[in-house]
Amino acid sequence: MIRELRGPVLWAGELCKEYGGGAGLVRAVDRASFAVSVGESVAIVGPSGYGKSTLLYLLGGLERPTAGTVRLAGRQLDGMTEGELARLRRRALGFVFQASHLVEELSAQENVELPVLLAGASSRRARQRARELLTQVGLADRAGHLPSALSGGESQRAAIARALVNEPAVVLADEPTGNLDTATGAEVLRLFGQLHAAGQTLVVVTHDERIAAMSDRVIFMRDGRFVDQSTLAGRAGPELGAISGLDL
Amino acid sequence: MGRALLIGRLAIGELRRRGLESALVVLMLATATTMLALGLVLGGASKGSFALTRALTRGPDMVAEYVQTPDWSLKPATAFAPLVRAPAVIGASGPYPVAFVRLRARGMDVLAQTEGRDRAPAAIDQPLVTAGNWVRPGDAVIERSFADQLGLRVGDTIALNGRPFPVTGIAVTTGLDVNLWSSQDTVWLVRADTEGLATRQHPLGYVLDVRLADPSRAAAFLNSPAGNAFCHTCSGMVMLEPWQWIGDAAYRPIARNQGVLVVMSWFIAILATASIAVVVEGRMIGQTRRVGLLKAVGATPRMVAAVLLAENLLLALAAAALGLAAAHALAPLLTNPGDGLLGPPTAPSLSAASTVIVLAAAAAIALAATLVPTVRTARATTMRAITDAANVPSRAPALITFSAWLPFPLLFGLRLAGRRPRRTALTIASMTFAVAWVVTAITLQHQINFINRASALTPPDEYHPTNPLTQVITVVSVALVIAAAITTIFSTWTTVMDAQRPSALARAFGATPRQIAAGLTVSQVVSGLAAACLGIPAGLLLYATVGGRLGPAAPRAVSVLAVIPGTMIAVALLTAIPSLLGARRSIAGILRTD
Repeated sequence: MIRELRGPVLWAGELCKEYGGGAGLVRAVDRASFAVSVGESVAIVGPSGYGKSTLLYLLGGLERPTAGTVRLAGRQLDGMTEGELARLRRRALGFVFQASHLVEELSAQENVELPVLLAGASSRRARQRARELLTQVGLADRAGHLPSALSGGESQRAAIARALVNEPAVVLADEPTGNLDTATGAEVLRLFGQLHAAGQTLVVVTHDERIAAMSDRVIFMRDGRFVDQSTLAGRAGPELGAISGLDL
Repeated sequence: MGRALLIGRLAIGELRRRGLESALVVLMLATATTMLALGLVLGGASKGSFALTRALTRGPDMVAEYVQTPDWSLKPATAFAPLVRAPAVIGASGPYPVAFVRLRARGMDVLAQTEGRDRAPAAIDQPLVTAGNWVRPGDAVIERSFADQLGLRVGDTIALNGRPFPVTGIAVTTGLDVNLWSSQDTVWLVRADTEGLATRQHPLGYVLDVRLADPSRAAAFLNSPAGNAFCHTCSGMVMLEPWQWIGDAAYRPIARNQGVLVVMSWFIAILATASIAVVVEGRMIGQTRRVGLLKAVGATPRMVAAVLLAENLLLALAAAALGLAAAHALAPLLTNPGDGLLGPPTAPSLSAASTVIVLAAAAAIALAATLVPTVRTARATTMRAITDAANVPSRAPALITFSAWLPFPLLFGLRLAGRRPRRTALTIASMTFAVAWVVTAITLQHQINFINRASALTPPDEYHPTNPLTQVITVVSVALVIAAAITTIFSTWTTVMDAQRPSALARAFGATPRQIAAGLTVSQVVSGLAAACLGIPAGLLLYATVGGRLGPAAPRAVSVLAVIPGTMIAVALLTAIPSLLGARRSIAGILRTD
């Protein structure tokens, strides 16, 4: 059952995504419905290959659903052109991928500047925003380094800064700690905890129980379907920190 | 045997899988081999048409021409006496009067010469009528290539120095040298009509057709006492030409074309090498994972290199075969000495040595272009290849800082161009070759028009003398433009493949497909701009180096500078489709692969 929330910033109804056809038909997402309120943190968990990332891409308009509807920041995604989707993503969404996906030839600062420049801001404004965000994620002293000179945790923190730099309504994260070891994963977890505490709306696909434990709500997925969900709302902060084993 | 079979099977499988890319590589190589084969074929062009026409028109062994001036004249019998009396001379026809006239017909106004002939056939140099009849009083017979240039037929009327003459015949001859006072622009009249056209400003000249006892010694006759006596008597206002010179003159454009084609084939070969290097680099981006898989199942780097080289050698062989066939088909167009001679253009054959040269050149181009990327890919560690890790792009800090001030498509395009400097340099080099040649061709064509305008009194637009060099320029220009176009398309597609992750990321963060496509196009248009800026001076330099003169014959600056926007528009059009395709690839599909 979908918990009815007032004014969801992100809403999905009966979302389906199929690949192939006939005997080879694969239903990656099967009638998934849910809503995410402003400031809410949702974790989507489940075994590998059960459609979690696909769901995230559908929510972000990076892939088109076979059926169903997505509404983001009051706009219905189906029927929008690629250009309209891009413009909506520009102001409403921030992405964090499993691999940090930083542009290799750009420094951390230049990577974070990119979405700001894309939004049409001046070079000066982009530089200023990127510095603020890199300071926020603790990378002020690494701003001029290329991705190859950053550790895995630092790269992912730079990617988080890039996702936040345009103050998006929702941050979608796909296995943000999936490529990191426990210690470096903790840096990223701490950052996500801070974001949650600051009221940033988050949807995180993860295997990491610690992230799930930090979330307001956990949705379990199997074979493309939502099979269960738990509400953990109100446990953020020290209590959630105790669950996740982190000092939040 | 088993290993060779495996290499062949893998190479053919990959070529089939990448059919379009393979076809474009073949087209590029075929362009280069066609030029080379044409150059070699032209070297073997025979002079069959001249021999046939000379036999059928009883062509002279020697033509003597003597021109009067307003201040100086000599009776023709006196002038030609040393020749007629020479022991080596066994016969002569003429002297025939020659008048230099202004010819008006079909709205054109050109300079020509008329030659006064008898109605009865001459024993030596009797022009062969190919349409209509031989001269009668009041009628005109026009030399065939001249008639063709002016578009005249039997039944038309021409005006010579204002006097109307109906055209009653078209004829060919080997008694004229195309280089003598444009003497192929000839009209035959009866003697009286020709004499009536002489003016005070342009008095008559005379032509004598000579038969020698030993025609093979015609050139030596020039330095004989008789030859010297004739030249001395007429104080230098003479022309004395052996038949071999006239034959050479008829084929001089072909010899010149051969030189141009051989030089240009090397020019295009360099261009093709640069272009194919770009193409192969693009192919390698897609093949890295396959190479990793091959190595994972036990293939050695040497075997992987053999598979990759086998692919490119197969393409080179196919291209060489196509080039040879195309050269065989095109050669008659370039070996045709024109309508001034009889018989079909001789289709020269390609010798075994030339065939080997063309095959070897194609293989060498393919090897030169593929060796470095092939070895690099074959040497990549297996895991790196399997994970398809792209080569780390270059960083251009100044470009990154500068581009941050620009609108996103320009920012994206400039950064894409800057992250692969080697590819960008190869693309610029390829385009620069094409632009340089186009500028040379424009300049050369302008000079040809300038010369034509000088010899024609009407605007050149209405007068189109056929110029074999123009045909060669056209062939070479088309070849270079095709080569540059293919390079540009491939460079764009390689950039699309290489930039798929930055493109997908930019789209994830809000770049529209149109912005990405524009950025990809900009990455190539900047190369086009650089190529145009380099190609213009390079083209003018090339033109000057091969002996061309600028000055009054130079094209206007605006027509040369138009090459810059022209190149940029052409590049934008060529890159539009690959850019749009690249900008519409699935973001999720790309970002998930890592």
